[in-house]
Amino acid sequence: MNFDYDSEQQEGQQKIAAVADLKGLEEIRVEYLGKKGKIAAMYAALAGLPDDRKPQEGKKINEFRSHIFHLIEDKRNSLVDKKRQEKKETIDVTIPGVSAPVGHKHILMQTIDEICAIFEGLGFAVQEGPEVETEFNNFTALNIPADHPSRDGFDTFYLKRPDPDGEKGNLLLRSHTSPAQIRIMQAHKPPLAVVVPGKVYRPDAVDASHSFMFHQIEGLLVDENVRFSDLKGLLEVFLKKLFGENIKMRLRPHFFPFTEPSAEVDISCYICDGKGCSVCGKKGWLEIMGCGMVHPKVFEAVGYPKGKYTGLAFGLGVERMTMLKHGIRDIRLFFENDMRFLEQF
Amino acid sequence: MKISVNWLKDYVTTKISPAALARELTMAGHEVEAILSTKDDDVFEMEITPNRPDCLNMLGVARETAAVLGAPRTFPKIKKRTWPRRGCHIEISDPQACSRYIATLIQDVKIQGSEAGMMKRLTAIGMRPINNVVDVTNFCLMETGQPMHAFDYDKLCGGKIIVRRARQGEKIVTIDGVERSLDPSILIIADAKQPVAIAGVMGGKNTEVTERTKNILLESAYFDPIIIRRASRKLGLSSDSSYRFERGVDDGTVQTGADRAIDLILRAAQGKIIGRSDMRTKSKKGPGRAIVVSQGWINARIGASLTAAKCLDILKKLDFGVTRGKKDILKIRPPSFRNDVKGAEDIVEEIARISGYDSLPGTFPQIKVSAISSDPVRRARQTIETLFLAQGFNQIITYTMISRKNLEMSGQERLPAVALINPLTQDQEVMRPSMLPGFLSVALSNVNKGQKNFRVFETGKIYGMGGEKETVGVMIVGRRTDDWRLEKKEEADFYDLKGVLEQMLARLQIDNSKVEFQPAETDFFEEGQSAAILINGKTAGVAGKLESGILDRWDIKQKNVLFAQVDMEEIFRRESSPRKYVPVQEFPAISRDISLAVPPTVLARDIEREIRQAINAQKDIVLMQTKFVEKYEGDKIPQGYRGMVFSLTYGARAARTLRDEEVAEVHKNVCATLIKKLGVVQR
Repeated sequence: MNFDYDSEQQEGQQKIAAVADLKGLEEIRVEYLGKKGKIAAMYAALAGLPDDRKPQEGKKINEFRSHIFHLIEDKRNSLVDKKRQEKKETIDVTIPGVSAPVGHKHILMQTIDEICAIFEGLGFAVQEGPEVETEFNNFTALNIPADHPSRDGFDTFYLKRPDPDGEKGNLLLRSHTSPAQIRIMQAHKPPLAVVVPGKVYRPDAVDASHSFMFHQIEGLLVDENVRFSDLKGLLEVFLKKLFGENIKMRLRPHFFPFTEPSAEVDISCYICDGKGCSVCGKKGWLEIMGCGMVHPKVFEAVGYPKGKYTGLAFGLGVERMTMLKHGIRDIRLFFENDMRFLEQF
Repeated sequence: MKISVNWLKDYVTTKISPAALARELTMAGHEVEAILSTKDDDVFEMEITPNRPDCLNMLGVARETAAVLGAPRTFPKIKKRTWPRRGCHIEISDPQACSRYIATLIQDVKIQGSEAGMMKRLTAIGMRPINNVVDVTNFCLMETGQPMHAFDYDKLCGGKIIVRRARQGEKIVTIDGVERSLDPSILIIADAKQPVAIAGVMGGKNTEVTERTKNILLESAYFDPIIIRRASRKLGLSSDSSYRFERGVDDGTVQTGADRAIDLILRAAQGKIIGRSDMRTKSKKGPGRAIVVSQGWINARIGASLTAAKCLDILKKLDFGVTRGKKDILKIRPPSFRNDVKGAEDIVEEIARISGYDSLPGTFPQIKVSAISSDPVRRARQTIETLFLAQGFNQIITYTMISRKNLEMSGQERLPAVALINPLTQDQEVMRPSMLPGFLSVALSNVNKGQKNFRVFETGKIYGMGGEKETVGVMIVGRRTDDWRLEKKEEADFYDLKGVLEQMLARLQIDNSKVEFQPAETDFFEEGQSAAILINGKTAGVAGKLESGILDRWDIKQKNVLFAQVDMEEIFRRESSPRKYVPVQEFPAISRDISLAVPPTVLARDIEREIRQAINAQKDIVLMQTKFVEKYEGDKIPQGYRGMVFSLTYGARAARTLRDEEVAEVHKNVCATLIKKLGVVQR
């Protein structure tokens, strides 16, 4: 047997050059390189040759095979390129994408969720209470007697609806979230650890920092042997989780009728780092919440046995926290609900 | 309250800087809100908390200052006197309201301006000097906290002092020149003829001390805080005196304050004491019961380990009487001016406060597992909040107090609304019985600012005679989508609103079959474009397109506004149960479309109901799904009819593959039933 490698090569070369699509090229590949193709036949014929010619012939076949193989591959590449160019469709990847619309949770609700989540993580339950309250829950049970100057800080809206529980007077809009403490303690025995977010109302004329409707979060932990040091430690953990590890906290003695001892909580102004700026009024500290140890009179009001339990309580203004955290200077923005405001958060 | 640092240093020996002193007082619970510094003095603006009336004067602040700084203090020495019996006639007709009245008569005073030192003290804290006698009463008020009043004795008719309730219609011109009408709720000081002072609040013009005054009667008394507070509120008149009486004046300073004032009046205006009358209506308050606590208990409450010696020292500096009992027991008697200290917990505060909250340790509390879990209502609310957010709704919070005018403008003036007794303004006179006015305000302000396409929701409450109810409000304004690829920007419609409401209810496991949207007309919706939402047959809300007249009334320039409100009170409180797994159908289902021309009286709901009933009656075949595919109108269907296409998915009741023929048979029957029962035309 004798193959004319040159003419075979020429023939192959012509065929490959002439083919115009990938399908035709594949047929040629099978014709030459397939299991039953020409080159396979050449290798098979090699067996019948005398041993001395085998290496020489074998080398020729190898060369032939390699040549055809490369021609096919080159052709394939050029056909693919060509096809790609024919199909050319260039998109402008810089046009804005389109997504299903996503809404924005109100920033006050985000703050409430964030704070509640911190306390839930610490083992507190999140509870809620009604906004329309009784004089007893809002004041009396919290050791705020009628006609007492300690009520001055709690100016209150009253409703034209009599208190159905028979206590004299009308229902009111709670002026703080603390009445929820009373409800929770009336319904449950210690140990208990709860936070209560919600709306509260005070007849304050509206300006950049006052609103007649705002939100508070109340916290209450009651057990045997809760200590003042626990209050301090708990609030420090909370404030660091909320404002960052670097802030400093201080408790300043204060007065609330329903706690004793009582304190206001300041954090170092994170805008000026405690050096004094316009946000902290040059004090270097920001007043951020109120707290204290639950007054025995409050336990008495909810019918807990005398002297058995102690507890800590705290309350914070959600608007104020949010304003400090996000640099919002006007409380009215929260309730105007301008989309351009809502969609920033 | 204003505190002059120079004045304070008359009683406390210290070299501390004003700024450092301010910090120390603040950290002891007396917040210095501002320091006003002048060339020769520094004045603190202090917030004295309502429980500490004893600090509404210089000596009180000096006592705290000395305790906090550990500095020595010197209080004024009062000359010991024996009093001639001859005083004036005092009559107290309301012993509850006035438990003690001391009247001291001084003859031949020389009224003139005060000496410079006195005037400097008073002006530093913003008081206007009047004359030497009045200035002394003011000075002593500020120094001791005891309000006092000097009458021109010669002008007191009958030389009498009567402490009584005012008569209806009685009038008095107070020293500020204002005539005030009195009534029996107000306690007054009267002479034999008429009122001469509003007790504890302000003196009368007719008996005030002037440069012509020769003889004076100096009043020092204790008036009931509640009566003074009510009078002050009623008259809209607050004074340095009333402020202190309201908060409680020390029983003990009624006399010492008067004695101090006498010393100063005699020095400033000469004069001679004629006599003093001292009338008590209650026996002198004996020492109260001692507070008995153990040192160990105090430490357990604070979470610290303070020594008994330290506690003793703190309490003594605050003028508490302390004796040590057995072991670590302390017997503590608070001074007369500390009415706020009633129990052991108050002692804890005193010790913690003066030690400095900063110096006490912080610990992390043991938080035990308790039976209370987080409120399920809150969780349910959050579930639907997430859904609305995912559907592109922004969450809003609108005021829950609204005006009647806005209710009326929303076509809801007939809703009963709970009114406030003391609203701030008419804008907030009632508690909202509906969310619509609030949503319209939001639509107005946003549309006017150029935001014409948006969707919002609120999870809040509405208020009625029966109380407050969890409610969801939803509003879609303008277009449906914001997709630049769409050639035509489509306006949102009722079905966008309905879709999200259906999703919301489904999320809360309210089965689709329990929810019904029923055609219903409401004043504020366009005719024929609204529905009542029924859950378990009970009306729970409304949804529809807002009527253009209402939008006009609000001046909202965008006319495509959809609104819904759903009462969630019961839904949020439903116990949720875990969803039950339904096996996924393994054998292929077969779908068949049904195209109908529907007469105007028939609703999609009716067709679905008939389809369901027809197939439910089948023995071997079940209806797996009815899908609404299309709604069309046009010339191909009879006039007034609407074209509707439903796609029905059939499955076998048993686990087997359905045959086309059996489905074809059933489908034919379904069509026949619809034609027969509803008068639809198959197409």
